[in-house]
Amino acid sequence: MGRDLAGTETTIRARIRMNAAAVFARASVRVRASFRESSWIVGETLFPFLAMSAFVFVYRGLHAPPEYEGFVVLGGAMIAYWNNVIWGMASQFFWEKEQGQLQLYLITPVSRMSILLGMALGGIAMTTTRAAVILIGGMLLFHVSLPLSRALPAFGLFVLTLGAAYSLGMILSSLFLLWGREVWHTATLLQEPIYLFSGFYFPVSAMGIVIGIAGSILPVTLGLDGIRQIFYGPAAHGLLPLRWIPPIQIALTLVFVTLARVSLLAMENLGKREGRLTLKGD
Amino acid sequence: MKRLAQILRTSAWLGWQVEANWADPTLFLAYAIAKPLATTLILFFMVKVVSQGHATGDAFQFIFIGNTFFLYVTEVLIGISWTVFRDREDYETLKYIYVAPLRLLPYLMGRAFTRVATASVGVLVALLFGRFVLGLSIGVPTTNWLLVLAAVLLGLVGVLWLGIILAGTSLVVARHSMNLNEGLSGLFFLLCGAVFPLDVLPRWAQSVSLSLPFTYWLELLRRMLTGHGFARSLAALSEGDLWRIIAGATLGLCFAAILWFRWCEGYARDRGLIDWKTNY
Repeated sequence: MGRDLAGTETTIRARIRMNAAAVFARASVRVRASFRESSWIVGETLFPFLAMSAFVFVYRGLHAPPEYEGFVVLGGAMIAYWNNVIWGMASQFFWEKEQGQLQLYLITPVSRMSILLGMALGGIAMTTTRAAVILIGGMLLFHVSLPLSRALPAFGLFVLTLGAAYSLGMILSSLFLLWGREVWHTATLLQEPIYLFSGFYFPVSAMGIVIGIAGSILPVTLGLDGIRQIFYGPAAHGLLPLRWIPPIQIALTLVFVTLARVSLLAMENLGKREGRLTLKGD
Repeated sequence: MKRLAQILRTSAWLGWQVEANWADPTLFLAYAIAKPLATTLILFFMVKVVSQGHATGDAFQFIFIGNTFFLYVTEVLIGISWTVFRDREDYETLKYIYVAPLRLLPYLMGRAFTRVATASVGVLVALLFGRFVLGLSIGVPTTNWLLVLAAVLLGLVGVLWLGIILAGTSLVVARHSMNLNEGLSGLFFLLCGAVFPLDVLPRWAQSVSLSLPFTYWLELLRRMLTGHGFARSLAALSEGDLWRIIAGATLGLCFAAILWFRWCEGYARDRGLIDWKTNY
């Protein structure tokens, strides 16, 4: 039992309710905002679709087996989520600092993790509409077949992957909390190189077992690898046996959430000591 | 001319301070080359996984050259238009630049210098990586490197003028229209045959591809560096034809850019958009 700002004793139940309300508030703002500007919907669906299409045509130009086009379509949909982890989650506290609103978040009596969880859930909801367009568009336009009978296990692994990926985003947000302009450049750095090391457009096993394992620290690596194995079996050239992947993703989620909690506290205290929490990067 | 040179030099210096002084040069360089190397390796592994099938060393070489030089298109196009948004809304300095005794167009050209330099470093590193790490043969005995440089510069000038067109558009649209600029870059990536032969595109898309100057630019560079062409649909064109098309397109882009930018600048001033903030 603790006390709120008025000195009133608060129960654990009250604190849970307060944090749940924070999660809902932060998520709902993001969901509503995602449909506020129609150009965002076009920009976040059509243009990533174009980039994905280019890589589908690369495989067509190479006369690759048709499942490779499926790899690209699945990778293209996952890219939408990864970009949301980087730009909508990890960079969020940096943007709030730039807008002068970070201190409002920090003085609220809710956990930073609740705020980030709300961002994650809202981001997932927002990104799912975009990713669904990319996925369905890719399936229809390029005649990519994904066996619907395997959709449920694939979706289950996908949910585990998102949990781990957004937990990683929480750790990154604590780092970006203190940085200035390097946030922008670091976020950009976490795009194409991550597309490479996570095998967004090709089976990650093509890079060898050592690099593949190293890349598996990123949840999207094994998540994509597993989803491809579910849909395409041995043709997916999986890195690890499929049955290993869900426990690894669960373990990554637990590790990242714990690290995020520690990191957020440490970075916030460091920022307070060095006076960087209200310092604009630009 | 002296005044123009002064503006270009000063705005180039400013662009460097804005884009690059957040890190020491080594770290900045690492960040600058990470993206081109990553995209090169993505394509390398894509070819590698199917190479047991039908892909050949030639196939990757053509993809590599197209992807490498396309870096100019993405970096410079997005960079110039992004400058307008950043100066207008983040730094809120566009209005001060506008009232300074200089024209906006040469200022933006100067600001693009950092992007050109960064892209050039990326292209050079990617070419060296392809040559010494991936074992590609860049150039053939008949390759005239001065002509290659001239072709690169000619294409780059075209990209700059297209960037000015987008920068003019950025003066009159809100910040979130940045998606349009990035989308245009993605559209060019798809339609210019940068990483696949044009022949795999549907016929209607090939017609669009053949109307884009960068399609011919990449084909010319491939021919100069490998000794033969890539796209069957361009096989009937000689190198001289490609030079003429690119030169004509660059000239056309120059006129279009100047006229469009002047119109956008006037429109923005008439409607009070020079210090517009749309960051919501």
